[in-house]
Amino acid sequence: MSLKKFAELFSDLDSINSTNNKIEVLRNYFISNEPIDNSWAIYLLTGKSNKRFISGRYLKNLFSQIYEYPQWLIDTCYLKVGDSAEVITLLLKNKTSSRNKKLSNISLNELLSKTIPELSILNEEEKNLKIKNIWETLPEDNHLIFNKILTGTFRIGVSIGLITKSISKLINIDEEIISHRLMGYFKPSVDSYEFLINKNINLEELNSKPFPFLLANTFEDKIFKHSINDFQFEWKYDGIRIQLIKRSGNISLWTRGQELVNESFPELVEKMSLIKDDFVLDGELLVWNFKKKIAFDFSFLQKRLNRKSPTKSIQIKYPIIFIAYDLLEVNGRDIREIKLENRRIKLEKYYSKWQNKTENNITDIFRICDLIYPKDWSDALTLKEKSRENNTEGLIIKKKTSIYSSGRKKGIWWKYKVDPMQLDAVLIYAKGGSGRRAGLYTDYSFALWKDQELIKFASAYSGLTNIEIKELDKWIRKNTIEKFGPVRSLKPEMVFEISFEKIQISKRHKSGIAVRFPRITKWRKDKKINDADNLENAYKLMKKIS
Amino acid sequence: MKTNQEDLIRYKDGNLYCELADVWIDPSKPVKRALITHAHFDHFTFGCEEYLSTIETAILLKERVGDNIEIKTFDYGEEFKINGINISFHPSGHILGSSQISFIFAEEKWLISGDFKLQKDETCKKYEIVKTDYLISECTFGLPIFKWDETNKVANNISKWIINSPEKTSLLFCYSLGKAQRLLNEISQTDFKGNIYSHNSIYKMNNCYKELGIDIKDTIKIENKNKMDELKGSLILLPPSLSKGSYLKNFKNIQTAFASGWMSIRALRKRSGYDKGFAISDHADWDGILEVVKKSEAKNVFFHHGDSEALSKYLVSKESINVLSFGK
Repeated sequence: MSLKKFAELFSDLDSINSTNNKIEVLRNYFISNEPIDNSWAIYLLTGKSNKRFISGRYLKNLFSQIYEYPQWLIDTCYLKVGDSAEVITLLLKNKTSSRNKKLSNISLNELLSKTIPELSILNEEEKNLKIKNIWETLPEDNHLIFNKILTGTFRIGVSIGLITKSISKLINIDEEIISHRLMGYFKPSVDSYEFLINKNINLEELNSKPFPFLLANTFEDKIFKHSINDFQFEWKYDGIRIQLIKRSGNISLWTRGQELVNESFPELVEKMSLIKDDFVLDGELLVWNFKKKIAFDFSFLQKRLNRKSPTKSIQIKYPIIFIAYDLLEVNGRDIREIKLENRRIKLEKYYSKWQNKTENNITDIFRICDLIYPKDWSDALTLKEKSRENNTEGLIIKKKTSIYSSGRKKGIWWKYKVDPMQLDAVLIYAKGGSGRRAGLYTDYSFALWKDQELIKFASAYSGLTNIEIKELDKWIRKNTIEKFGPVRSLKPEMVFEISFEKIQISKRHKSGIAVRFPRITKWRKDKKINDADNLENAYKLMKKIS
Repeated sequence: MKTNQEDLIRYKDGNLYCELADVWIDPSKPVKRALITHAHFDHFTFGCEEYLSTIETAILLKERVGDNIEIKTFDYGEEFKINGINISFHPSGHILGSSQISFIFAEEKWLISGDFKLQKDETCKKYEIVKTDYLISECTFGLPIFKWDETNKVANNISKWIINSPEKTSLLFCYSLGKAQRLLNEISQTDFKGNIYSHNSIYKMNNCYKELGIDIKDTIKIENKNKMDELKGSLILLPPSLSKGSYLKNFKNIQTAFASGWMSIRALRKRSGYDKGFAISDHADWDGILEVVKKSEAKNVFFHHGDSEALSKYLVSKESINVLSFGK
């Protein structure tokens, strides 16, 4: 019905921890609201809307300007709250009265399909006036939602899986179907909601959509009990997961984040179009080093990812390759229910057919992944440890008899990652966190020794427990040398074990190195700063790999 | 601007001290003579030779720490002299018995606000505006993001929270003294008419309030419950110290909430570990502090308890009020 109801839903979901209760609350919401608003609710809750109409900074400036509020005061408040939309919501409580609330019954649909999009066609002055007007006529309890949508920061602790479950319960249809229906683009409308809750399953309607991805679980020791022959082994590539779909002759490249990236990789689209059959492939997109026959670092791929319509020279400089590891559909037939080992046979068969039948050579951009065959588990372990040599992250282990189901189902696929590299480093800076960590110092920078100097080499903010974070926060406040805005430089005293996945030369950093996925794995209270590693050790790690 | 040794009241060893009268205000270590603003434990320490407070504060304190302390009591507004300095207690609206303390010496007036609030609270005397030259104010919530909702709005939200989960036992955590009684008073005026239980530490304070003539809704001591089933759909008030550890294992099918001013911030709410947070405080919000500063007509203001940087800067730049800091 209204934005009001959605604000209540948000507040309920925000304060419920039990999954079952969340599903129940969602179900009730869907039952008691209009299809069009349900459609928008799903759009928001599944995070399919990340469009930013205005930035957090703009929002803060606007507030400051309208209500003649000092900018520094807003910034100070931000440090405590950690979210621009929420800061402004809280500050608005002082500024808006409860009298004129003509927007108190505005529907979610009207807000999202009309009021907010219309802001973009206004000039700045009109836009500002309009936002002020909305603030002053919208009930206070709805400000947070409005500000969050406006700044594209609407997020809530509800997974897509949970939405899927509640819809599936609502209409008594298998979760897999709902999950599939929710894939890809979702344009909020009465139709899209009706399609979602349609009790009749019509597979052709799903044509434009990727299948829900099957995700790997972290390796568990109990797998060692099984025969090595029950599993298929592959290298774990460090690229982006892609579902490459060709249906009715049209190619679509879907990422795991359900984004269509055709425009970033036109050469792949072009080559794959040459294949005569229709198909759905699951695989990895990488920037390939054809000389060494291994993938380039992820940083190379990043140069391609956010770029649409790349020039020929970019295409040549960063040559991509799609490595398929699964075949999910052939010529309209969904084969996800076939065992993995048989799907693999089909994948190999079709690949060799396509290789031979396609006039243009496709192998320079499309391959199927090599399988590896460890003799036993200890051999698998050895292979895993060697994975850095071919620039992979470890092994993917797949049960041969498994079907391709959706989500992170247990007992089907596992990722067996190579142990991280580690260095002991000294904490030298801390910065206030945002979001859930607002008001605490949670973003840390670490340094290694070079001669007698500590040189910053990595920043990390994950890995400590909440108790450790609080303890460290207290220590930080007492041991600050200097404050620069939100950053504090600290007395060098605390040593932490930092783990990371990759290390490479970087001219941008003073240390000359850059590491990937740095995180804190241990608070080394037993170590003094002189026990921390020096940069030499980091260089040695680099040599070991290349 | 820093203060100096000649100020009537200054900071010494982390406490407020009036040298001429040789009295300490809410000292954290044993001293000769202690003025106590209110009966919360973080404002009290054992071992002082002499305590001075309002009658209500004395009774509450004795209930909490036992009878063997010597407390001299005064009515609100009653002036008494120590070494020629006129001292008096005035209502601060924080909890029952809580007070501001006024010092007058040679025509110079000093006022220590104590913990205070301006919001409605039927369980204690309303904050009294006292005019002063120097004001020492708390600023626990000294940022404009703190703006309290009407007390009855929060109470209605609590009531809705309980009523909407009839299958559950609702555990509401709050400070045993002051907050608990204020909540009981407010919740009894909402739609929630079910049983309310309270932990012994709260139960004791309820009785104390009743003896002092405050109308507090009857609760059942949680220690006296018969069987689990009777707790379904009811409300239990507990002190925050019991929220961690094994105490919660005594209950089945619960939902938890914390009533505190800090719960107005989503990040703190999420981090607190409670299912729900209700933003209700016995301290003044930003507007409350500003109002007190203005109405006190103080020319010079000091802040303690809380981060006062922003508040000070605001008063200096926007209101042209002289904000001083204690030379520590």
